[in-house]
Amino acid sequence: MLETGVQTHNIVMDEDPAAGFRMMKEAGFGCADFSLNMYLKNTDLYRYRLNGFFSQSVEELERFFTPHKEAAAVAGIRIHQMHMPYPNFIPGAPDEINGYLVKEMAPKSMEICRFLGCRYIVVHGLKVRKYYGSEEAEWEATEQFLHTVLPLAKEYGKVICIENIYTNSGGHIIEGPCCDAVKAAERIDRINAQYGAEVLGFCFDTGHANIAGLDLERFVRTLGPRLKVLHIHDNDGRADLHQMPFTFTITRENHPSTDWEGFIRALRSIHFDGVLNFETAPVLNSFPEELRPEALHMIAAIGNYFAKRIAE
Amino acid sequence: MRIIGNVLGMVGSRRPSQGLHDLERAGYEYVPLDFRLFCNEQAFAGMKRNRQEALECGIPFLPDHPEQVPEAAKAYLAALGQTGLKMPAALTTSLPRDRSNPELNEILKPIVEEEVRLAARQGCDALVVRPLYAGIPCGEEWERNRAYLLKLASIVREEHSSMQLLLENQSKYIEGHLVRGTLSDPAEVIRWLDALNTEAFALKAPDAASVNPGKKSGGTGFSKDTGAAAGESTGKQEREPFAFCLDVGTANLCGQDVYELCTALGDRIRAVLLRDCNGHSDDALLPFTSIEKHGCQTDWLSVIRGLRTIHFDGDLIMDFHDSLANFPNFLWPQLLKLSKELADYLHWQIHMGDAMRRYRHIVLFGAGNMCRNYMKNYGEEFPPLFTCDNNESRWGEEFCGLTIEPPEKLKSLPEGTAVFICNLYYREIEQQLRGMGIRNPIEYFNDQYLNTFYMDRLKGL
Repeated sequence: MLETGVQTHNIVMDEDPAAGFRMMKEAGFGCADFSLNMYLKNTDLYRYRLNGFFSQSVEELERFFTPHKEAAAVAGIRIHQMHMPYPNFIPGAPDEINGYLVKEMAPKSMEICRFLGCRYIVVHGLKVRKYYGSEEAEWEATEQFLHTVLPLAKEYGKVICIENIYTNSGGHIIEGPCCDAVKAAERIDRINAQYGAEVLGFCFDTGHANIAGLDLERFVRTLGPRLKVLHIHDNDGRADLHQMPFTFTITRENHPSTDWEGFIRALRSIHFDGVLNFETAPVLNSFPEELRPEALHMIAAIGNYFAKRIAE
Repeated sequence: MRIIGNVLGMVGSRRPSQGLHDLERAGYEYVPLDFRLFCNEQAFAGMKRNRQEALECGIPFLPDHPEQVPEAAKAYLAALGQTGLKMPAALTTSLPRDRSNPELNEILKPIVEEEVRLAARQGCDALVVRPLYAGIPCGEEWERNRAYLLKLASIVREEHSSMQLLLENQSKYIEGHLVRGTLSDPAEVIRWLDALNTEAFALKAPDAASVNPGKKSGGTGFSKDTGAAAGESTGKQEREPFAFCLDVGTANLCGQDVYELCTALGDRIRAVLLRDCNGHSDDALLPFTSIEKHGCQTDWLSVIRGLRTIHFDGDLIMDFHDSLANFPNFLWPQLLKLSKELADYLHWQIHMGDAMRRYRHIVLFGAGNMCRNYMKNYGEEFPPLFTCDNNESRWGEEFCGLTIEPPEKLKSLPEGTAVFICNLYYREIEQQLRGMGIRNPIEYFNDQYLNTFYMDRLKGL
């Protein structure tokens, strides 16, 4: 049976990481998706605000995350994957902001990944298609960024995972970077061959796929063994809501409007052997505090259901 | 590029005359043979009720009687003959998106076969066909469509026609939510087209001399390989039996970047079905009208960039039947005129570079962001002699490699030189220049949908 995991955001707090990891374990999870992105939020970055977190030395950062590392170990939670802060380039932002992201944030994220003993780190591609004119030109910029961190991934034995993300046109969500599975597969294979190691993989985000109109089953089948980590969550097909699977229906028949059956079939067909990881932090916001452990139990139960079905 | 008007929702199947004349008066030259007029999706949604209704009205119910397709289209074709409109393309009947009963495919097949036959006989040079999808599992689409599509190609050949079958991108219904379906992935489209064309070419070629010239065809039926009009005997290689029709609305429903689709498929795209929608509901609205609080729900930038990049010159098929259905019918003629102007506008945007190509020299008017964008996108291919501006303080300044001159300098332009206005106050500036006695051609340049943009905007100009 596949293991299950959940992101630490809204569960593990810096003041008492042990309580959060314990809660994850009690809910039934064995793995964590460490939300490093919450230490340099995208909402701040888009306002050109740097909080100085990644200005700390590697030693200081290690000291800061030592309680988290120890608490996870005590609770029996394995930090399987983490999320690098994003974006890593902001069109039109001052050079010092974009320079900081490449020179400070990104390499130090890799150092934290190493320190926490985490195998996979998820990154977002650059969103510059509107300015550069094509997906190809956009990917070139992303690849340029990746080459700044891939040597560290190789040195530390880590895998950087590119993720399917979205953009919008007048508020309507449309495909963004890494939404073409065929191209993603070719690029991952090419770069891994270039480095002579598995340094690049894919993080499939079910919610992003759903709002960008991707066929979950087809996408996962195309990725095949390049699929390393998952961000499982649900939405209404319109907004990136990060809710638990089976939450949304559109028709009066009340069948789920996200193709979870296709997702299960695809993971089974590619013999996925990673972690069924949920990126569902907002669920914990929408439930009253007293019910949060129950909500987390429910998410873990869904993970176990998926694992059982995939194993059939 | 042929701009083909929308007949669905506009032209009655039994009294088509008024609608067709309205289209002609709106400036359209072309209309499709849209078989959805005679058998729309709803016919399959509630067959018992629709059968009864057809019986009461005395009209053919095609799911039961596919052989009556010609009878169903008779009034339309007769009325078309009374107009100056041409009918270069056709669209087949299709199933509702949400159908999962594979038996419906078997009901649809003979209808489409009859439609192919009639469209070929009518001299259409393109027919838009949807692949079968009802109840077909992921991964089995090709094997379940291959024989069907090849049979349609064989019917075209039986009719001694050179009509191309244009496969259309589909969405897939997931309990009310639409995602990418069959032929939405360009790699899959290329695989299908290559395989189908190879197999269809292997069929015996018709006698070129007996190719049906058609009695009401577009007359400009273009053969990709020979450049010959449809029906002409050239003795050279005939055009491919299968090509592609890009449904912009479907791409939008599936969150797809149309630029990427266009550049991946290139000249395999022979037609574009142009419709707007909000990205969630499968509607056919007039372009630029599906707006929510943030703006247009279709990424027109990507549509225009894509079609411009591939130098699209095929059929632009307008489909805004849901706009018509919800607009006061009294105002339909005005809506049709607007739709034609929108199509002409898109044509202008897509072929923006053609305007520069027509002149020996170019000068610009305006020395701001639009001028800068001109230089970024076209400066190398069509270098202007200079630009000019009404702002006296900037005369003599170098801007993006151009000298800013006073407007007076436009009075001594060499012959064959056009002035391109790079400023949103087009009409005011044109009036100013004409008032100065400038007789050179004046064109408008526009940077709203250019292929690349700067990340910043110059301020204070």
